Amino acid sequence: MNSLVRAGFSFAKNAVVSTSIRSISITRQLNLKELRERTEGSTLVVEGVTVPSPRTNLLVRAEDLAGFEPSEGTAEKPCYMCSLGLDVKHTDVLILSQFVRSDGCMLPRRITGLCKRQQKKIGKLVTMAQKAGLMINLTPANCQKDPKKRRLYKKFNTYFDEKTIFMWRIPKPTDRFKR
Amino acid sequence: MSAVKRVQQWATFARTWHVFDCKWQDPYESAGVIKKYLMGLHKPIYHPMNDCGDVVVCINSREIALRGNDWRQRAYFHHTGYPGGATWTLAWELHSKDPTMIIKKAVYRALKGNLQRRHTMERLLIYPGETIPDDIKQNITNQIRQIRLVPTRLDHIPEEEVQKYPKVMEYPEDYVLK
Repeated sequence: MNSLVRAGFSFAKNAVVSTSIRSISITRQLNLKELRERTEGSTLVVEGVTVPSPRTNLLVRAEDLAGFEPSEGTAEKPCYMCSLGLDVKHTDVLILSQFVRSDGCMLPRRITGLCKRQQKKIGKLVTMAQKAGLMINLTPANCQKDPKKRRLYKKFNTYFDEKTIFMWRIPKPTDRFKR
Repeated sequence: MSAVKRVQQWATFARTWHVFDCKWQDPYESAGVIKKYLMGLHKPIYHPMNDCGDVVVCINSREIALRGNDWRQRAYFHHTGYPGGATWTLAWELHSKDPTMIIKKAVYRALKGNLQRRHTMERLLIYPGETIPDDIKQNITNQIRQIRLVPTRLDHIPEEEVQKYPKVMEYPEDYVLK
């Protein structure tokens, strides 16, 4: 009986309160925003400030480069990392740090806009860079960032081989008995 | 004989001292390179019966890098000869006990197991840090090129260089920065 009442109460609360709050937006939607918190006396002010995207003038796309030929035949357009065709290694921290939030978590695919394969690859490269201690300012808070401060086998230098990322994608052997 | 040729002649017959910086290098990859200089395989006069090998001084052997999970998966086997005397030491355990041992064993294994091996190993000097004794330092005339690039940490790259670096990922319009 008690749980029934609670469920009914929460449903009513959701129907009344949350939708009405969510529909209000003071600032413009669809713009890059940054949440800023500041205290004025005893009140905490949280505001979403519209900010310009950092370093937009340095954005590199394959379409803008000289000698770009769009691939014909396939209906699906390759993602921007596939069309750039960069050979990214786990030591390229200046590239990998763009796909990472400030707390060191990998951004989801709806934000990075990568294809599934590239998203998986970049995610693993980020993990490799963090494990090797190359991005210690962009590493989750719960891990010991500097390898020198880590324990046991983690305290020594480690490098990774990028070939091991897609190890399981071995092409199937052709059927020799197929007629 | 020109002056350059004459010096080349001397250098071939002299015992040259090389230095190799092991920082962020794979010991098993670099053992192949060190072996070449220790045995004198890089010289045109090489023959297994002539003693033309050089001296290699390895520095920063504490800073070597192993691949993937090798630190906890690679084991070094030793047997005392008595029953039950077998021990398996993991790479990180061995390295924390003696930071010169892994590179020494790697070179020892890369060399061929003949009677010359112990004598060739005498010409390999390994130091865990950057400091070399002065009497050894004054002999060094050459540096062996490193195999892997030493990676740079993101927080060691200056801020203006990070800001100038080209950008690949663009945030979507409705993203809230974190």
